[in-house]
Amino acid sequence: MSDYDFDRVNVLLAEDSPFIRSLLVNSLKVLGVGNVFAVEHGGDAIHFLQRVKNEPMKVGVQQIDIVISNWDMHPIDGMMFLRWVRRHKDSPDRFVPFVMITSYSEPERVLQAREMGVTDMLAKPFTIKNIGDKLISIIERPRQFVHTKDFFGPDRRRQKLEFEGPERRVLTDKSEGVEIIRG
Amino acid sequence: MDKKKVIVRFYRFKNRLKEKTAGLAPGKVSISAEALEAAEAALEKMAEDYPDWVSGLIVKLQEQHGRCVDSPEKRRESLEAINHIAHDMKGQGGTFGYPLITTIADSLYGFSYSRDEITDNQVELIKAHLDAMRAVIRGRVSGSGGEIGEKLIDGLNQAIAKYDK
Repeated sequence: MSDYDFDRVNVLLAEDSPFIRSLLVNSLKVLGVGNVFAVEHGGDAIHFLQRVKNEPMKVGVQQIDIVISNWDMHPIDGMMFLRWVRRHKDSPDRFVPFVMITSYSEPERVLQAREMGVTDMLAKPFTIKNIGDKLISIIERPRQFVHTKDFFGPDRRRQKLEFEGPERRVLTDKSEGVEIIRG
Repeated sequence: MDKKKVIVRFYRFKNRLKEKTAGLAPGKVSISAEALEAAEAALEKMAEDYPDWVSGLIVKLQEQHGRCVDSPEKRRESLEAINHIAHDMKGQGGTFGYPLITTIADSLYGFSYSRDEITDNQVELIKAHLDAMRAVIRGRVSGSGGEIGEKLIDGLNQAIAKYDK
């Protein structure tokens, strides 16, 4: 068994509380994450990603591998930031894994974030194990992205359940109207 | 020929992040146990600093409260600053074992949120919040605080009911 090497991983962290921000930066660094870029709110995060796209040499990073963002921030909150990442034409990577931190664990909030294309949620209060589990899940179990007329984001079906019986799904990979893009 | 209409697109990419972090060799990969331990120790260390950090914020709140008393014409500005600090505090009390700080900060946040006018009585209420926070930190009242916690919150709510006008 070997250990992950997070040294080449670039994380963008948007968190408005200085205390939680330094806590997360510190935790990620100690876990071995090579680069953690921390900003104070969604607006700064968008600005940062635009710079990654337009002047990567100046910023010192070619690509952000994982975005971690608080939900409740001013003036631009985590949901607005997520929407920008997934839908805006200037977004440098609409597929980037996006973890939303929230102290709201009500199902409705989780659903709202999922519909906007969140990859995973990290609930406050969190432990190091929670952070580690999110990293592993992002690395080991990436989901295909789905694009329909009213959804763009990681597949909301996480489980692959074995199903004995006839295929009754309306659309399969081979159906007309289904396009598969590999890369 | 008509271009066929796409109803759904599936994007399936190579797992580059896995390549980056685990290489191409097969086999189970995990996060190094030492790294996890070190990170947990770092988190605990920070949690120990939490009361000091909150005390620093309470001092800042105290300064803003003083400004409300000394220069009533600038109350709006001070209130905004108070609202900002309260928002910051309410997010993490629970993470470090002080949910009471979150409760009190949440109350202060709601109380200081976009008010146009603020009376002398209401300025006193800001102080009531600060006193309650100080009591929590001074007494290291972690968790829900049991009876002491209940008393603190009750006292605060009574003050709000009485003076918030």
